Amino acid sequence: MIRQALLVLVVTLVALLTYPGAMLASFATRITAAPAAARGPAGALPWLHVQRRAGQIPYIADEEGRMVLLHGATPASLLEFGPSNSAAYPLEPAAYEGGQCPANKASSKYPPLCQADLAQMARLGFNLMRLPLSWSLLEPERGSFNQTYLDRVAQIVDWAGDEHIYVIVDIHQNGYSNYVGASDSSVDLGQYSGAPPWATITDGFASHVYQKQREVNPAVLEATTNFWYDRNGIQDEYLAALAFIAKRFRDDPVVVGYGIYNEPLIGWGLPPGYEDLLLFPFYRRAIDAITGAHDGLPCWSGFFMPAVCGYRGLGAGDARHLIFLDTGLLREVTDFPTHLSMPVSSYPNVVLALHAYTHFYTIDHLLPNLVSSSSYPWGGYDQSYSLAEHEARSMDAALFVTEFGNPPGDDGRLLASQVVEQEIHRTGFAFWTWKENGSGPWGVYAPPVASTDSSGCLRADREQLLARVYPRATADTSVTFRYDSGDGSFQLHASGRRGDPPTVVYVPPEVSGSVNVSGGAEGSESDSPDGSRLVFATPTGGKFNVYVSPAPPVLAGC
Amino acid sequence: MLGLLAMWFGVFAPFAIFTATRSLRRIRASNGELRGAASATAGLVAGVLGMVVIVAGVAYWILAV
Repeated sequence: MIRQALLVLVVTLVALLTYPGAMLASFATRITAAPAAARGPAGALPWLHVQRRAGQIPYIADEEGRMVLLHGATPASLLEFGPSNSAAYPLEPAAYEGGQCPANKASSKYPPLCQADLAQMARLGFNLMRLPLSWSLLEPERGSFNQTYLDRVAQIVDWAGDEHIYVIVDIHQNGYSNYVGASDSSVDLGQYSGAPPWATITDGFASHVYQKQREVNPAVLEATTNFWYDRNGIQDEYLAALAFIAKRFRDDPVVVGYGIYNEPLIGWGLPPGYEDLLLFPFYRRAIDAITGAHDGLPCWSGFFMPAVCGYRGLGAGDARHLIFLDTGLLREVTDFPTHLSMPVSSYPNVVLALHAYTHFYTIDHLLPNLVSSSSYPWGGYDQSYSLAEHEARSMDAALFVTEFGNPPGDDGRLLASQVVEQEIHRTGFAFWTWKENGSGPWGVYAPPVASTDSSGCLRADREQLLARVYPRATADTSVTFRYDSGDGSFQLHASGRRGDPPTVVYVPPEVSGSVNVSGGAEGSESDSPDGSRLVFATPTGGKFNVYVSPAPPVLAGC
Repeated sequence: MLGLLAMWFGVFAPFAIFTATRSLRRIRASNGELRGAASATAGLVAGVLGMVVIVAGVAYWILAV
């Protein structure tokens, strides 16, 4: 009898710790009430949220329920890299006041981010900036948060608001941490960022890079695994850091949301258990900590929390911002979902954050001797997007491309293909990266000629491909549109009812073709001092179209 | 053991169910010579749980709306 009771206990316990428990916690979110959210205070920009319509993928929406598309880039100047292990530029906001900008440092991977950058972004039609932060700068000592760092973030958010640009505050990492050490010359710590030294537990594993991939490093894999298993309570500290940020920006709609963790690594784990039992349950706990949602079971904290465990609210009570959940590095290199894609949280404003690097960081490019680019991904560029759409729908989340990019020489092939997919799947983007120093940089701008300049010229191909005509807001979530960056033409097909809010189409200064609104909508146009135009198509009932006639793009260049 | 593994890795579930079912049959047929019915039943339950999870997870993915 005792033996039978013990067996029942063991089976129940293992079930709770593994997939049955994970699945219960996941599907319970579908019947759990979302945390209460009052209407947010007015700010420099309207609040955005995730909206749902029956039979459709959830989407990012404005207060009028229109689908909102966000286009932008990612300046990485606020990250800390090794081996210097310090911020490249001053963190004190005073150093940037009144249009000041510290001199660029050739030793830094990225130029400083200054007020003029925001104006340059707006000039390209960007209405979003993804702003990566380093945990190591945010919490350099355990339990002690860097207020000055957040003041600097707040300064940038204010600049962004002035330019009508939303900000994703993104907690970033590359290769887990710049404190993983270097056992030999195979490790370039200048490529590493993330966790502070006290949260980097490598257990004596050698820091050596294999296959020229910074993540394929035993010290990185060990430190990452220790994070997922909450060794020494470091995951709890991470959640506290997230809550610290959320408390600061809780009432600011310019911050559109938070990126919880950039490109999570699998560590020593295996898919799909890594994602379903460690990563996405961690995301659920992060949402609990930020928003006060009560998903998952009440559990202990401070050491390994199984998938079934939720987390306590950490006092931020931020139940309005979007939460961006990175699909993970394994998904990025396969262009294929590597887990079961179950619902994560009862919190409604969840966005699945896709990194789209087809043919650059996918296995056909990383392992060309094993996998041919002609046959993989077998669905071409669309594979990643179509499957991501399905994943997002499965998780009851909206979809957004938080990263894509490539070396400038590949723009005609890679960048051009990605932006077409983004139009087909009606997803916004944050291009990697804004500006970058050194050789082989990926920036929208070329690297500077003089070392103290913040950048070189705006790259012509990038201006032509990224400064796009696109609908910024539309009430028709089945809208189709296509911008031809070659001849500057654009067409949008949508439908609406009288009384629906207008579809707003942004036309950058590079595009000079005439605008025509036809069918069941009345058109109007407003011009901006920078040469851009906004087209308002107000539905009168039925199908309508917005056209921009072909005209050679007029590039600003340098 | 296969049953417990099946709850981590669904791929073990069919093997756990097959092994547990066969063991239970042999135990019943042995007229008391073989023991371990409780362990085999636990393995079967765990295997079925693992199988339910993998089938439900995949079905949810395919049918997600």
